[in-house]
Amino acid sequence: MSGPFQETGNAGLYKTQLLSRRWTTEEAFEIRFSRPPLFHFSPGQRVRFMQNEAERDYSPVSSPKDETIDFLVKSVKGGPFSSALASAREGDSFHFTGPHGYFRFYPSERLPVFVATGTGIAPFASMAKTGVINFVLLHGVRRSLDLYNESLFRKTAALYVPCLSALSDPREGAPGAFAGRVTGYLEEGLTPGAYDFYLCGRGDMIRDVILLVDQEFPDSLVYAETFY
Amino acid sequence: MRRWAIKIYTRTGDRGKTSLFSGERVSKADKRLEACGDVDELNAVLGALGASLCEEDPNVAREIQEIQSTLFRVGACLATTPGSLLTDSLKAIDDEQVKSLEAAIDRMDALLLPLAGFILPAGHAAATWAHIARTVCRRAERHAVSLLGEAEGDKLSAAQGQILVYINRLSDYLFVLSRYCNRIMGVQEIPWKK
Repeated sequence: MSGPFQETGNAGLYKTQLLSRRWTTEEAFEIRFSRPPLFHFSPGQRVRFMQNEAERDYSPVSSPKDETIDFLVKSVKGGPFSSALASAREGDSFHFTGPHGYFRFYPSERLPVFVATGTGIAPFASMAKTGVINFVLLHGVRRSLDLYNESLFRKTAALYVPCLSALSDPREGAPGAFAGRVTGYLEEGLTPGAYDFYLCGRGDMIRDVILLVDQEFPDSLVYAETFY
Repeated sequence: MRRWAIKIYTRTGDRGKTSLFSGERVSKADKRLEACGDVDELNAVLGALGASLCEEDPNVAREIQEIQSTLFRVGACLATTPGSLLTDSLKAIDDEQVKSLEAAIDRMDALLLPLAGFILPAGHAAATWAHIARTVCRRAERHAVSLLGEAEGDKLSAAQGQILVYINRLSDYLFVLSRYCNRIMGVQEIPWKK
């Protein structure tokens, strides 16, 4: 894909094979593919899978240094792509293009604040596996079972806050959990200041966080990747 | 084909702010946005110009489409604060694109009578679209100069430095194109009367 910006890596069309699949919850699975030898990406970028007249973008959760390329997929009822990935067999071939996008980690003097909802955690997993540390991470999920790569983030983040929307008492959830949405934590828990915000998740979360940033954290930078 | 569509409305700009490519949240009245808006407007006018030419000269219409694509790069440069970490991501406008405009100017100019004085921005509809595009292009140039002129030279990326050259040459191209449109449509130019 060509756009007004430089694509990093070697954007092109690649063939890959499914190696394994592991359900992390009843709604989401981690899926591992062979990594095409010439394919390179920066943590945070996306690839575009193409199958049976359908296209769908996913961000790898693996490091660009890994020998495989792994994704976290939410199984969507009636979703043509997640259904295909959920039912595919080991050895099945898929095609993707990429890498796409500019959602990458840009180190600066400001503290990075990663905000994810659901499987929007994917780019941050890839960044953390590639050596990004000392960030604040807010991961909004319904329950602690939906947290992904919790142990990785507890080791790499300066502050890791699971935000559990279906939790009334934080003591019942993961250590350090916040009972509520990521926006609730930003309003109540984050010290006023200027940060580099990295947002990945559904559009309504992105919108709500950006409006909060405008109001509570002026002079911050915002990089966003929306899942629809 | 089912595509990974971009949602049109995000609602993040409902309170008068928007995001630059380099991550800053700025007022929609910010002069960086003014310049981006000019380039966007220019692109839209070029669309009208191309549409008015596609039957009479499809080659020039295609040339205009290429310019429209390049203007996305120009917009991206203007939406990125000089010196920001993302300037390396900007795709440069290369010398070839400027030379391509110059070659087109020379090609069309060779078919025209030498200019004896000022001419009115008038004539065939396609020629007037070209004149409108030229004036919007000059406005974009003024705003870009104001914007980029404030940045210290060493903060400007190669891509950002080159856009002033490209916009300036594009204005010249549009002037010659307006005359060329009148020529191929068989419409006389109207000289300025003192």
